[in-house]
Amino acid sequence: MPALVSATDVTRRYGEGEAAVDALAGVSVDFPAGQFTAIMGPSGSGKSTLMHILAGLDRPTSGTVLIDGTDLGALDDKRLTELRRDKLGFIFQSFNLLPVLTAQENILLPLSIAGRDVDPAWLETLVGTVGLGDRLTHRPAELSGGQQQRVAVARALVSRPAVVFADEPTGNLDSRASEEVLRLLRQAVDEFGQTVIMVTHEQASADVADRIVEVADGRIVADRAPQPASS
Amino acid sequence: MFRVELKGLLARKLRLGLTAFAIALGVTLMAGTYIFTDTISASFDSIFSESSKGTDVTVTPQLAFGSSNDPNAPGLSLPASLLERVRSVEGVATAAGGIFGQATTFDKKGKRLNKGGAPAFVASVQPAPFEGFVPAEGRLPRTADEMALDKATVDRAGFALGDMVAVQGDAPRKRYRLVGAVRLGGVDGLGGSSSAVMTLPEAQRVTGRTGRFDEIDVAAKPGVDKAALKAAIRKVVPARGVAVRTGDEQAKKQSLDLRDALSPLRTILLVFAYISLFVGGFIIFNTFSITVAQRTREFALFRMLGATRRQILRAVLGESLVLGVLGSLIGIAGGLAVAPGLKALLKAFGADLPANGLVIESRTIVVSLIVGVLVTLIGGVAPALRATRVPPVAALREGIALPAGRNSRFATPLAVLLTLAGVAALVVGLFAGLDSTPTLTFVGAGAAAVFIGVALLSPKLVRPLASFVGWPLERVQGLTGRLARENTTRLPGRTAVTAAALMIGVTLVTFVSVFAAGVKKTIDQAVDTGLRGDLILESPGGQTAFTDATSTTLAKVPGVAAVSPIRFVSAKVTGQSGTISVTGIDPATFSEMYRAGWEKGSDAVLRDLKPGDVVVGKSYAESHDLDVGSRLHVLSATGASIDATVRGIIHDKAGLVGDLAMPNQVIASVFGQKQNAVSFLLFDRGADATRTKKVVDATLERQYPAVEAKTPKEFKDEQAGQVNTLLALFYALLALAIVVSLFGIVNTLVLSIHERTRELGMLRAIGTSRRQVRRMIRAEAVITSLIGGVIGIVLGLGLSVLVTQAIDDFSLAIPVGTVILVFVLAGLAGVFAAILPARRAARLNVLEALAYE
Repeated sequence: MPALVSATDVTRRYGEGEAAVDALAGVSVDFPAGQFTAIMGPSGSGKSTLMHILAGLDRPTSGTVLIDGTDLGALDDKRLTELRRDKLGFIFQSFNLLPVLTAQENILLPLSIAGRDVDPAWLETLVGTVGLGDRLTHRPAELSGGQQQRVAVARALVSRPAVVFADEPTGNLDSRASEEVLRLLRQAVDEFGQTVIMVTHEQASADVADRIVEVADGRIVADRAPQPASS
Repeated sequence: MFRVELKGLLARKLRLGLTAFAIALGVTLMAGTYIFTDTISASFDSIFSESSKGTDVTVTPQLAFGSSNDPNAPGLSLPASLLERVRSVEGVATAAGGIFGQATTFDKKGKRLNKGGAPAFVASVQPAPFEGFVPAEGRLPRTADEMALDKATVDRAGFALGDMVAVQGDAPRKRYRLVGAVRLGGVDGLGGSSSAVMTLPEAQRVTGRTGRFDEIDVAAKPGVDKAALKAAIRKVVPARGVAVRTGDEQAKKQSLDLRDALSPLRTILLVFAYISLFVGGFIIFNTFSITVAQRTREFALFRMLGATRRQILRAVLGESLVLGVLGSLIGIAGGLAVAPGLKALLKAFGADLPANGLVIESRTIVVSLIVGVLVTLIGGVAPALRATRVPPVAALREGIALPAGRNSRFATPLAVLLTLAGVAALVVGLFAGLDSTPTLTFVGAGAAAVFIGVALLSPKLVRPLASFVGWPLERVQGLTGRLARENTTRLPGRTAVTAAALMIGVTLVTFVSVFAAGVKKTIDQAVDTGLRGDLILESPGGQTAFTDATSTTLAKVPGVAAVSPIRFVSAKVTGQSGTISVTGIDPATFSEMYRAGWEKGSDAVLRDLKPGDVVVGKSYAESHDLDVGSRLHVLSATGASIDATVRGIIHDKAGLVGDLAMPNQVIASVFGQKQNAVSFLLFDRGADATRTKKVVDATLERQYPAVEAKTPKEFKDEQAGQVNTLLALFYALLALAIVVSLFGIVNTLVLSIHERTRELGMLRAIGTSRRQVRRMIRAEAVITSLIGGVIGIVLGLGLSVLVTQAIDDFSLAIPVGTVILVFVLAGLAGVFAAILPARRAARLNVLEALAYE
């Protein structure tokens, strides 16, 4: 299967000279379409940096990143922004919904930014899947954390992106809400064929994925299947 | 604690700069005004004292009241016989009479040298030691065929020594050989005026004062005390109508007269400075409110660490103190830079005043500093009090809202009350008929109260107005427009105060434009309905009285039926305070050429008006309880008086007839005014208007170059032109207040964007382009400024209607085009204000923004 997202010899160095720190020290990794990958690692391992670079939010010091055949290094800020808009979806730890918009408007935000019309059937499916039918006209402040993150998941999926990046999506949630969000991501992969790359430091979250990439000290130290839930 | 604050202040340089500028601009105008007017005064003072150096005692004519600078004041002079009497006084070394009058000087092409209203003086050569004019080139005139001119005029007109220069005063035009370019009191010239210097007899002849003097200068014998000499001279001159002063006293009086003359200018400029400062105060308040809210956790931390509320209060107020001092100092420095600019501004609007060097009195610095700091402190008080209410626990919890003040539920009623009180003060100021100072105080305080009241009420207006002005933006821009509108309504109070700062400028711009339109309309109506004459005679600019010989000369022009001269003088009435205006008319012709409404009486009353008769204006009659048959004892500035009986009450909407109207004969004999301020001219029935006007023009040009004939249309256009000039000056000064409010919009945007850093990061991460971010911020600024624009226009129109109602017979005219333009410009102001914040927002680093807490 050809890789949808692929990184080759990616390094990321912060600072210069003596004080330079290598957040990523040569990472090569492929992500095939339709797969749910968890990137795991302790604080400071470089897992977030890796995700930022994969998602075109940060540029590598060296190495290349391809998304759907496009070399991110060849894109200027404008093209990169358009790529994020059209091909990527994002879920953040702190939800990052716009407080001034309703839940539905937040979900539709990527389409509004792109000036595209919504496919009503798809929206209905999405809203049904994340289970927010009766809360669509509420503003984020009127929703619980779990509900807010479900809105964020719907927002990430609404434009049918090539890949969804989730950065510690359960980090700010209690266990019940966490389970709900992870179930949704799983469902997106299984039912809609969505590709998901999730950064997490929780083993339990990572175990929902199809594959776990472990990062430590800026390198990939393991690339494995999750443990069966029973063990 | 204060050190910490200071460090924090320095760390936020952009905000510090923007906020300090909000104060600095107002202080700049204030300091600039003081420096500019002080410089003018000082320049004149040195001219006065320099030119009276050799003079120990001066004898001048004296008005019983009023100022001799008034163009309609009677032209009093001293008889030559007085000089002999002065010379005979013990202790007088020498004494000489001098002339200082007006006469037209012509340029090389035979056109009037002075454009507009700048005066053309003629003065006599004074013998030593009194000579005020010192030749810079050439010499002083010695014969009746020679003259000198001030150096500035020689340079401006391109004259060379030896040229023939024509001058015409009361006497016919005559050509003189230019023998000198002179300086007066150390300056080349006085503003845009010209000064022709002639021998004494020639100057007397030209000004029509043969055998008379405008001034007698006296030098004391060595060892004679000036004050004693003054007292001795006082005894030999008439007790009434003659002033005797020592040279120092004379220079001081001239200096005081000048200060009086400058004081309206200074007041106007200061009013605009205070307007800008008032707007600046709003911005200080808003900026501090926002930063206090943003620093809730910081204050909570201080409180947790043991800081008392008083310390928090002191810290925030200390911050505003530093800001106020900084802003005021920048403003004072700006004032130094702007003072020459004010001179240029006024010159562009036709008032060229001498100002040499820069005079900085300690008062300038003290007042600017105090006012600047006070405004900043007042703006900072409420936010500082809010900061003290932050509970220590806020340091631990995220997103804790500041507790509402105990009195916040009274905010709306208080705002309503304040607005109503402001309106009430305006009404009292406008309608109670107070003197000018209390009127200004009431109107100023009323307007300020209305502004604050409306600003406090307008949070409730923000949401509907944002929907109203934001709707088109949302249509055009889609999401970015929608987000912009939502962002402006997120904290309506913040948007309201930001918009209110602009609202003040917009209100005043709207008001002056409506008021000016009303003035023009009123003049037009007055001319259209009142004037029956075909031409109006006036000096250029209308500021100088002219000779009555024009009447007889022009009456003989073929096609001219009659000329009706009109004079203006000031008078006092026994038993009443203040001066009143008296209009002199020609009973035989006035009612033929001017249609005044009558309250009591008819045109026949005017035709029969005799010395001792008076017609009274309606409002004066009402306020002084006069009726036909009432008697008045009217006093003239010359010291003379007349008993007059009221023969009619006139209702003159145009205001040509002032408080009283009397025959010109009386105006000449009792009030000493033999010259006309205006004349109306009527053509023969069936005369060729164009041709007759041409002959009149030619006659004036040849014989009376200081008089112009205007058709009613030309007159209206000229009046409208003068109104427009003043309007442009006011716009230029109000622009400052608008610029200050733009700083407020920039400041609010920068701070709001700062608060929304993470939101912006998310928007950028999920694919919002930089351009879209810029558009969103720009739309936010435009919505905010249009809210200010809408409220400002409504308030401005309301204020206009109110003021219009307060002025008798004043027409309301709303310049719809201008009002729309003001609205559009308010929106453009928003676009302008958004440039910097939008760039900052678009340049945010996405990752840092996402990680921002």
